[in-house]
Amino acid sequence: MKIRSIFFYEWKHFARSPFKVVALLLFVLAAGYGLHNGASLYHDQMAEIDRIEQTIDENRQEYLTYYDEGKPGPENAPWINLAEPFWAVWFNYIYHFKTPSPALVYSMGQAEQYGFYKRETCWASPYDADMTQEIANPERLQTGTLDFSFALLFLLPLLLLTLLYNIKSMEAEQGFLPLIEVQAASKNTWLLSRVIFYLGLLAVLIVGLLLYGAMLTGVFSAEGGAFGQTLLFSFFYLLFWSVIYYLILRSGKSILGNTLKMVGIWLVIAFILPAAVLQWISIEKPANLMTDLIDAKRDKSQEIYDLPDSVFRAKVDALFPEIPTSPVAQDSTRIATAYSDCYSALINELMKSSIVPIEADNELKNELVRSSYWLSPITFFQNRFNTIAQTHYENYQIYRNEIQAMIDKQIRTMVSDTWNDTKIDKQKYLDYHTSLKTN
Amino acid sequence: MWQIIKNEWSALSRNRTLLGLSLGFLLVLLLSVLLGIQQTQEQTQRYEQAQSELRQQWENIEAMNPHGAAHYGTYVFKPSNLLSSLDDGVNSVTGNVLRVEGHVQNEIVHSEASQMQSVSKFGKLKSSLLLQYILPLLLLFLAFNSISSEKQSGRLKLLVLQGATPSSLIWGKTLSVWLYGMALLTLTVMVYAFLNLGSITTEIVNRTLFFYLSYTLYYFVISGLTVLISARWQNATVALTSMLGIWILWTIFLPNILLSSVEQWHELPSRNEFQTAMREDRSKGIDGHNPADERGKELEEQTLVEYGVDSVSQLPINFDGLRMQADEEYGNQVWDKHFGHLRDVLAKQKQTYQLAGIFNPFISLQNASMGFSASDNLHHQEFLVQVEGYRRNFIKILNDEHAFGGSTTGDWGWEADNDFFKSVPDYEYQPVSLSAVFPNYIPDLLLLSVWTILVSLLLVFGTKKMQIV
Repeated sequence: MKIRSIFFYEWKHFARSPFKVVALLLFVLAAGYGLHNGASLYHDQMAEIDRIEQTIDENRQEYLTYYDEGKPGPENAPWINLAEPFWAVWFNYIYHFKTPSPALVYSMGQAEQYGFYKRETCWASPYDADMTQEIANPERLQTGTLDFSFALLFLLPLLLLTLLYNIKSMEAEQGFLPLIEVQAASKNTWLLSRVIFYLGLLAVLIVGLLLYGAMLTGVFSAEGGAFGQTLLFSFFYLLFWSVIYYLILRSGKSILGNTLKMVGIWLVIAFILPAAVLQWISIEKPANLMTDLIDAKRDKSQEIYDLPDSVFRAKVDALFPEIPTSPVAQDSTRIATAYSDCYSALINELMKSSIVPIEADNELKNELVRSSYWLSPITFFQNRFNTIAQTHYENYQIYRNEIQAMIDKQIRTMVSDTWNDTKIDKQKYLDYHTSLKTN
Repeated sequence: MWQIIKNEWSALSRNRTLLGLSLGFLLVLLLSVLLGIQQTQEQTQRYEQAQSELRQQWENIEAMNPHGAAHYGTYVFKPSNLLSSLDDGVNSVTGNVLRVEGHVQNEIVHSEASQMQSVSKFGKLKSSLLLQYILPLLLLFLAFNSISSEKQSGRLKLLVLQGATPSSLIWGKTLSVWLYGMALLTLTVMVYAFLNLGSITTEIVNRTLFFYLSYTLYYFVISGLTVLISARWQNATVALTSMLGIWILWTIFLPNILLSSVEQWHELPSRNEFQTAMREDRSKGIDGHNPADERGKELEEQTLVEYGVDSVSQLPINFDGLRMQADEEYGNQVWDKHFGHLRDVLAKQKQTYQLAGIFNPFISLQNASMGFSASDNLHHQEFLVQVEGYRRNFIKILNDEHAFGGSTTGDWGWEADNDFFKSVPDYEYQPVSLSAVFPNYIPDLLLLSVWTILVSLLLVFGTKKMQIV
């Protein structure tokens, strides 16, 4: 029997199996719903970023009028002087956004566990409370949102199971298998061809769904060929399950036996192994209660405030070697005030050093997760999809690093302009906005 | 009927595959209990260590201005409870650290899930994962051909001829499968109780009993429904695939889809909207740090009249402390309004989601399991409310010391001594009692009961016209 004939008869068999057709339609429905969920999150985040940018513009316009009117700042806050670098930087409302990738439509990943906008100030840190997740129902977060990657990772194997469960075993139970052997050159080729038929069918379905998703957010404009990569890993994943099911079908002869084995494998791979890995990591490396960060924010920060002037100034000078030769350093009446603007610089260094062990701890956990990929392949694929959609832990780590770099730059600029006695006018205020928006 | 159950059990015990499967499952189940307890112990140890470290820091304050101490503040860590080793609920996605300080009600931050890349979509290997997802599947595999195989082999006819009624057969099969589930559930709970013998309280016993009851009802629904389908369909494969379809729909599809929908029906504000609205409302009140503030001036006038003096410098107390407390009390109204609104929306979401138990008993089971394990969102919100109550008392003690501790207005250099800081009470978590939250879980228990009655009625009436051959 030619492969073309096998495909033809398989198509007829599929079309006449309402159970299989309904399963396929249900999958399409779930995957479509997942794509819309992803697109909705993408559009929500973009809209939120637009709203914040609009508010920033309004706020900045208010402060620009003070320059136009020659006022130092708002009347009800006489301590503010916009001619000073510290206040001009502070009221520049510098934000850094993690603009969502259009590929978020495919995998929402960890996008709901972190903040995606952050106001940068000289006192900010990438581990501030405002870097936490958007307000959401924790029970929904725990259950997870049905996105496309969920449909692909958990429902696709079930769909494949539904399409394949009675292949060969039905013929074996009904006694047709010897007849098949007569008609087909090889029983294995016949079985393989039938499995390939469904593999092809699902591959076409995946391409269709990915294209539909691409239309919802404009994935083709995303960097790094997100569409192609998602497609590639989807095919690998489909192939992974097809091979497992093919081996079960090849060795088994009863429908029930095969179904039980297929469901059993699915349960182990989708539920037990990832859950066991997570439990193991939670015991090996329990949740960090961030005491290092707390110590830095309170006691160690307080220690900086309590430093004798000479020690404090020596530390600041070590951080900014240009200070002793700067114009303000030559004016003894202004030195104390200028140094007081440098507390944020030392505290920023302190915060950075306290973050190092936290991130090292997180990296150890990630290392444990990576080392478990061979045991829990679904975790590997999940994280691949998250990486492509830029919703992976690493993408948020990059975002945190960018925030830190921007804070460093803001502090450097503020300290440098303070000590160089730079008077901030309207143009300089506007320049700050341009230069401090990038790291 | 007991004879049928006895026969079924002896048949089950002769099935080596089933015995192997049961043994394997039991091992994983017991492992999950052990690992769950170990994790809870580790977490509790870390929690106690961190909490005591922070308390030590607070008690080591030699001397500090009370308002400075309000800014110094403290931190509260979310404690884990013994029952979360059975069902972790929302614990891994909610934060663990809550800052307690003056002027602001903070949000809980630093969740476990945010500290690493994603691993499992269905949480940790806790007993609840196995009891909710895997054990029902096992029951389903046991029951799907319980009647149809008897029909196909002709044994059903023989049994009826021997005097067994179809109804007693169906009930016998249902109960034998259900008892298998109950045996595994009972063993899990017993091992859990045995390993925690020293820490078990009446509260934990009561909660565990309701936890047990919820699973008891759900397993009956699954066992009964599968036997019913097996009785209605001649073909065992159709029975199996139908029940698998129902299982997928109930446990994978609907909870996901419904929770997402519920969140859209009762929308929560975005963080930015929430913060902006709070900031706006907050700006309408007293500014504790700004002596020129108009509302602060009004309070000053009232205080001067009350003490019968002309200026704050003549006051025998420190007016700054009074202004700070007035600022706090205004702020508390703002937090109550906005955080209260969040809690209201979350409560509405929960109530709507609970109603979905009408067509999906798994949702009722999941709610009840988390709720009775004290790890659902309701318990999380109760914890947050408790911490906020502590914060308000904590700040009031500091402001009162500032106002009446012996300093005068404008004297920001005045410092309270170490004895005072030691006297400020530490945060102590009061576990939420079951009686206080029980009404919230009545809908879940009620719906599980309704499902049990419905399945029982179907077993009685739906199988009356069952074909014997």
